[in-house]
Amino acid sequence: MMKEKEVVDALAMKRALTRITYEIIERNKGVEDIVLVGIKTRGIYIAERIADRMKQLEDVSLPVGSLDITLYRDDKGKDMEATADLTASSMPVSIEGKHVVLIDDVLYTGRTIRAALDALMDFGRPQKISLAVLVDRGHRELPIRADYVGKNLPTSTKEKVVVQMEEIDGQDRISIQK
Amino acid sequence: MGKLLLLEDGTMFKGEGFGADVSTTGEIVFTTGMTGYQESITDPSYCGQMITFTYPLIGNYGINRDDMESIEPTCKGVIVKEVCRRPSNWRCKQSLPDFLLAKGIPGISGIDTRMLTRKIREHGSMKAMIIDDTQDVSHAFDQLKATILPNTQVAQVSTNKAYPSPGVGRNIVVIDFGLKHSILRELSKRECNVTVMPYNTTAEEILQLAPDGVMLSNGPGNPEDVKGATALIQGIQGKVPLFGICLGHQLFSIANGGKTYKMTFGHRGSNHPVREIATGRVSFTSQNHGFAVEEASLENTPLLITHREINDQTIEGVRHKQFPAFTVQFHPDAAPGPHDAVHLFDEFMEMIDAWKEQH
Repeated sequence: MMKEKEVVDALAMKRALTRITYEIIERNKGVEDIVLVGIKTRGIYIAERIADRMKQLEDVSLPVGSLDITLYRDDKGKDMEATADLTASSMPVSIEGKHVVLIDDVLYTGRTIRAALDALMDFGRPQKISLAVLVDRGHRELPIRADYVGKNLPTSTKEKVVVQMEEIDGQDRISIQK
Repeated sequence: MGKLLLLEDGTMFKGEGFGADVSTTGEIVFTTGMTGYQESITDPSYCGQMITFTYPLIGNYGINRDDMESIEPTCKGVIVKEVCRRPSNWRCKQSLPDFLLAKGIPGISGIDTRMLTRKIREHGSMKAMIIDDTQDVSHAFDQLKATILPNTQVAQVSTNKAYPSPGVGRNIVVIDFGLKHSILRELSKRECNVTVMPYNTTAEEILQLAPDGVMLSNGPGNPEDVKGATALIQGIQGKVPLFGICLGHQLFSIANGGKTYKMTFGHRGSNHPVREIATGRVSFTSQNHGFAVEEASLENTPLLITHREINDQTIEGVRHKQFPAFTVQFHPDAAPGPHDAVHLFDEFMEMIDAWKEQH
């Protein structure tokens, strides 16, 4: 039987996103050069939420891009290429010389992020790229670390971290399944 | 015993005394909470003030042993429409008049608190006096006008010596400007190992303890009278995560270039709506402040406005743009009042952890 345990509830998740927003302001003198780029599905929603908060706080609308990294993965499954959509990535502005904040829901092996860096480079050469994730669950296989972390979640490799977001799952929560 | 309440503007109210049979002078303010009189009376932020309760019946559940916000209450008087002398509640240990008598604080009942509140709203908080009805009224008015209220409330209510409130978790230093016990309770719930230090502590003394986080507590009076706090805050911000409440928020704003002003009648009560700007979320908060941070003064400072009062748009929270530090004007620790904003203590804990992760 699959056991599921809620580790972050809706309120704590919203709080984590607000704190990441504050930290982005804190560590960047001026947010004008920032482009938020969400990695497909939940990363994009997280990016949009951070952009909303930034708009409220600093009255600036940060551009939000989205990345589909399927084709860039080094661990392509057999049916992955069939489902990949070449037009799924979009960038509202040129990222040339900008500070890109790459955003994903869960940071695990780091392979998604590596692929995302590749995908990003195809759009241009940003001045700087940093990484924001909602959950860092450890077990990296590549030398990658996040600059902004919503929650550090020590896990075992046998467990599965499930992030749910209102926009697509109807509720905000993070749980661990084992 | 017949008592008189005199206001600086020349108004006189007749009432009936309860509690301690003494005359008193202080700044008259009103609070709008329906309940929570025990927390308010024992709240050190009311030091030197006479509290008018706008709710007409006060004291009906007595005084219990759990809701104290300080050991010795320091407010100057209690003004009510009707006081309950025979309370009924399972937690009740004492009636309100008996408690005030034991603590040497005078009370006056039978006052039309609606009219009194309107006067305070029009004229602002002012000096007031409670005297026996046998005393010479015109002499008392002269005395009242000549009275200069003290501005050393923080020194009066702060602890003289540092003391610990041990726990097994994060190390927190709380700077006591007039600390409410509920702040310590919230830290204790989160298993923090707390050291409470006096208001005139230096930055070096704090950094020597290598705390994970520092809290600037609430407190009474005018923030501009707490002179040493600016150097203290400037000495620790950026080196350790900071969280400030009420007076702590005002002092933090001043230390970063902001200015404060005296509000006409302040915010006191337990139903003040506050909007968190980032999310648009509204919390009902417990508040007790007569001063506020001036919005215009925050331009060109490194502070970001994070919270606003909905009724009058005053600033209720700020955050430093470069350092891990945030402060709120309201009381996330409630007591008395709603616990809507209690998550700010969790936010402080999360900020501490995020900061530790990076350094």
